[in-house]
Amino acid sequence: MHLTSEEEKIFDGESGWAYQVSMRILVRLGDLFGATELMPIESAHISGVSYKTLGDAPIDFLEALMEAGAKVKIPSTINPSSFDKEYLAKRFPEDYLKKQSRVIELYQKMGVTPALTCTPYHLRQPSTDCHLAWSESSAVIYANSVLGSWTNREGGPSALAAALIGKTPNYGVHKAEDREANILIKVESPLRNETDFGALGIHVGKLLKNEIPVFEGLFYYTEDDLKQLGAGLASSGMTTMFHYQKKSGEEKLETLFVEANDIGDTIGSLSTSSDQADLIFIGCPHCSFKEIQRVVQALKGRKVKKGTELWVCTSSHVKEEAEKYVGIINRAGGHVLCDTCAVVTWIEKLGIDTMMTNSAKTAYYSPTLNKVNVALASVTRCIDEACK
Amino acid sequence: MVSEKPIGFLGGVDPDSGLIIERNHDLKGESVGGKVLCFPSGHGSTVGSYVLYALAKKELGPRAIVNQTADPVVVVGAIIAEIPMIDQVDIRQIETGDDIEVDGEKGIVKIWKRKEVKKEK
Repeated sequence: MHLTSEEEKIFDGESGWAYQVSMRILVRLGDLFGATELMPIESAHISGVSYKTLGDAPIDFLEALMEAGAKVKIPSTINPSSFDKEYLAKRFPEDYLKKQSRVIELYQKMGVTPALTCTPYHLRQPSTDCHLAWSESSAVIYANSVLGSWTNREGGPSALAAALIGKTPNYGVHKAEDREANILIKVESPLRNETDFGALGIHVGKLLKNEIPVFEGLFYYTEDDLKQLGAGLASSGMTTMFHYQKKSGEEKLETLFVEANDIGDTIGSLSTSSDQADLIFIGCPHCSFKEIQRVVQALKGRKVKKGTELWVCTSSHVKEEAEKYVGIINRAGGHVLCDTCAVVTWIEKLGIDTMMTNSAKTAYYSPTLNKVNVALASVTRCIDEACK
Repeated sequence: MVSEKPIGFLGGVDPDSGLIIERNHDLKGESVGGKVLCFPSGHGSTVGSYVLYALAKKELGPRAIVNQTADPVVVVGAIIAEIPMIDQVDIRQIETGDDIEVDGEKGIVKIWKRKEVKKEK
């Protein structure tokens, strides 16, 4: 990889250890994946925030970076943490809260905005065709596929390194020729709701390796449906990007067919329980304004039944925007939580055995990450279950 | 120490002891500490990079890492932990117990003494 003389100096340690280690990460990854140079980026989004998923290991590294005077060079945001300040904070041991707060504080001291969301694009939408260094696989695939921005699927440390340098190596989907579809997915069954889109993602993600799929047969969809599709694809596979409108010539690509029973079987295999749910969770990835509206529509004025919790997770930004609807959900006995979600908190320590969700991504991860049983169904059915 | 299976550092290696704890792993119960750790590739969560850093800080980390295929998680972990690392090495030519020298800067692995040779003597 070619480095400018200024970049060489950082590499050699003239700007201190924090920038040197960051530059070494970027250069090594660039060399490994065939980059020719570093390119400027508009923003970074960094995973590796929740103390539940991180544990103690990374805190020392973040401490060392902060001590060495590291500061981000571009607008940077972080992923959700393991609790929100209002509701969950009171339910966990003091030690957990202290460690989680320290992680967030360390990022802040480095100049990172504590967005604490997996949907940073709801806070500030990146410009079309701009280059980014984002981690959080569901945000990466959404940025590439729906927003038309360009980002590789970074890991937590490489996104942080890119934020500190303000650049990323120019490989992968930063190159136009590597963004073309190379496999056609023919969906031969109508998708009924957001859960079907998520299940399609999980099913296809398992079948793909590094390919970029183009879908044919998606007729009616919202941006929130595409968010579920992307989150599914990036959970069961390594997919960085998909296309949802077929272009001429793409019918010649290698083709995979998805039939109605593939979607049904995927939902069936992701649902590990038919027991009554203790927790109904909507908001993986974090809810958009419209998804919060959908929860209110599905409530139809009913109340959440006793013994069941309803969590609607979103960013603090969207929560503020949707204030009116948040009030309605609260009065119905639900909780609108920001800065966190059910997957990255300790729901298993809250006495929850069975969770119902509309998110295929959550259903994919929670049985192992949270050790709970999961039932997967659309938001309408989830809210019916909450109020039954 | 040569592993047949890939190693996922998050959940696969105990950050407090350096022992491999991954279920059904061929090296389960072995310590990665102080060894030239040879394994096909990494797998799993990107938090694995930080586990390597934590191990190195506690002096429980491997002395060097030799991989068949580079995984960004291991690559980044080795950089922040300052562990010499080389990839694209045919690790089938190395056996547990061999003395090997790793030059991470130049990308050279030298096998000094083979176990079999020792046996023949």
